[in-house]
Amino acid sequence: MKQKMTLAEKREAVWGWAFIIPTMLGLLILNFYPIFDTIYQSFFKTGDFGLGNVFIGLKNYQDMLFGSGKAELWQSLWNTIKYAIIEVPFSVVISITLAVFLNRKMKGRSVYRTIFFLPMVCAPAAVAMVWKWLYNQQFGLLNNVFHTNIAWISNPNIAWACIAIIGVWSIIGYNMVLFLGGLQEIPGDYYEAARIDGASGIRQFFSITMPLLSPTTFFIVQTRIIGALTIFDLMFMVMDKTNQALNKTQSIVYVFYQYSFTNGNKGVGAAIVVILLVFIMILTVILQKLEKKLVYHN
Amino acid sequence: MKNKKRLIALGLAATMVAGMVTACGGDNGGSSNGGGSSEGTEQGSGTEGSDGGSSSGGGELQVNIWDNYQLDGLQAIADAWTEESGIKVNINVVTWDSYWTLLSSGAQGGEMPDVFWMHSNTAQMYMENNLLLNLDDYIAKDDKIDMANYYEGIVNLYNSNGSQYAIPKDHDTIALLYNEALFKKYNVDTPTDDWTWEDVYEAAKKITEAGKADGVYGYGVNVSNNQDGWYNILEDYGAQVITDDHKGTTIGSEEGKAGMEMVRKILTVSAPQSVVAESGTDSLFTSNLLGMITQGSWMVNTYYTAENSADYKWALLPYADVNGNGQCDEGERKSAYNGLGWAASANCSNPDAAYSLISYFCSEEGQKKQAELGVAMAGYVGASDAFINAFEGTDLSAFTKIEEEGTLFFRPYTRNTTVWEDALQQAGGFLEPWQNPEDPELMSKACDNAQTIIENAIANE
Repeated sequence: MKQKMTLAEKREAVWGWAFIIPTMLGLLILNFYPIFDTIYQSFFKTGDFGLGNVFIGLKNYQDMLFGSGKAELWQSLWNTIKYAIIEVPFSVVISITLAVFLNRKMKGRSVYRTIFFLPMVCAPAAVAMVWKWLYNQQFGLLNNVFHTNIAWISNPNIAWACIAIIGVWSIIGYNMVLFLGGLQEIPGDYYEAARIDGASGIRQFFSITMPLLSPTTFFIVQTRIIGALTIFDLMFMVMDKTNQALNKTQSIVYVFYQYSFTNGNKGVGAAIVVILLVFIMILTVILQKLEKKLVYHN
Repeated sequence: MKNKKRLIALGLAATMVAGMVTACGGDNGGSSNGGGSSEGTEQGSGTEGSDGGSSSGGGELQVNIWDNYQLDGLQAIADAWTEESGIKVNINVVTWDSYWTLLSSGAQGGEMPDVFWMHSNTAQMYMENNLLLNLDDYIAKDDKIDMANYYEGIVNLYNSNGSQYAIPKDHDTIALLYNEALFKKYNVDTPTDDWTWEDVYEAAKKITEAGKADGVYGYGVNVSNNQDGWYNILEDYGAQVITDDHKGTTIGSEEGKAGMEMVRKILTVSAPQSVVAESGTDSLFTSNLLGMITQGSWMVNTYYTAENSADYKWALLPYADVNGNGQCDEGERKSAYNGLGWAASANCSNPDAAYSLISYFCSEEGQKKQAELGVAMAGYVGASDAFINAFEGTDLSAFTKIEEEGTLFFRPYTRNTTVWEDALQQAGGFLEPWQNPEDPELMSKACDNAQTIIENAIANE
């Protein structure tokens, strides 16, 4: 039986809505509307300046998935997955380790935490520019310090890994901060009890820290996978458009940018983005199903 | 104690707000490495200029440009106009990459700048969508502006269905840039006015072989150096990247293949593609690792202000002796040229003032001033001599000599140029032959591919 709200509850509800409205409006206007507009545009051959759109149904999807754009689309999707395969596991492992070490009482702990967080503060464009010159085959620091002549970003076989290393480097700080937050939640009693029972540091880590940290880890892995799949700026800024390795490195969002903005073909671009959206949704569903098995809840 | 904390918190909050406001207030003329005025080197976007302002009513005109190097000169000319008209001119620099995004979103949102630059890549699109102010009536009434005084190709570019939508602002040509110090070091004769591309090949070969130990190459050209690079060689042999009616190409013809074969030959003695792709020919040249490159007049300032500019010399663009008679005949020496146009927004609040400013920039007087200030070579025929003398200590006569001794061809464009232009520079276009210049088959096949790419792109427009 539905209960009627008291006056006090009604007032609270009104105030609740009042505080939420700004964010809701922003979400609706700046997020939901563009999503539906993009899906809508993917069924059109878009004209200049948003005028003269011609409805062509599923042709954009057919072209990109099975037709003329097939090689480019599937290769770039695979490139993006390769990037995610390096960025997510490495950054999570490194940042968990760092977070655990920086959670103890030690001298200069804040300084170290700040240093590891600094890459997040730098503008992505600046980061890309610096790494571009680090990786330069002729003049780059890496080749000149180690006296090698490796084509870090021009060799199709390794260029994607080198770009992914930049991604790992820049996201470690962010992951570390989140893990630190998760670590604070773990009561110290567990560690005390384990110490009394004679468990080593590593044993404590795998038996206490990892399970109790799993909600945080799951959250970070899920958001980082989504973030890695939408990578664009690193490839765009580090590699010139005539780079030999571009085909084996360009991400799917890079292909989207080329079609939508360089070529002005926003309909095809919208279709590419929708394809990526569907892919990410499928992945998320799979991850959610895994959550019940992997994440330890009290 | 509590009050002190409150005061500190308030003070910090105020500083933060003040910081945000001044940062967003936008300083005009944002620094950028100044993409070239007509080609616009797309690499290196630098920092963003401030946002393009809205078209302003009352006593101010909003002008958008993308080349930071031209800002001071243009502002000086604009200020002279302000003295006559009483209307302030606010010039905004937006880097090349963002310029078009900003303009098109401004067009869709109804907030374009009042006066701005137009370029061949997008001119047709803007004109056909009625976004530019029709200047016919203004020009007819204006006795200072007569379209016959400007370069025909540029006038035609900004003319749609018989109406004129922009007036030529400048034009540029291509010349051969060489490093005299490197030529002396490796004992090679420096370029002269009768050099052919074969001579370029020979000189580049000598320098590359002699300079191997130092990592020096005789020549450098990337597949993306089109207007300033290989387009010129191709056209010397009689082919056209885009035919005069802008609806086709002859790049896959016998002449086209002969031209690209010459390019391939030069590539065998040039810096490898991976090197120029990672570092860019301009950086390599100013690092004294390239003997020669070809470049456009919009890049003069970059080399003039470089560290070793005393060694850098501009020579006349070489020709291709196609008929083998030992002299340069008609059509054997070609240079690409392009010209920006000054256009006004169709919806600007003060069209009379906007036209008046454009007229001032493009009048003979304004064009001469522009050349004197070293801004760019004039769109007005015959007003560019001052530009040649604007850079003390450098001989820039190669840029005007090519117009007398060679033929100019307009930078190839179609309605949606970037689609095929980018495709030519990537895998499936000319990238493979650039990576493997030893194989003539690759270059020949690439010419056929290019023919198909361009024809398909035009069919889809």
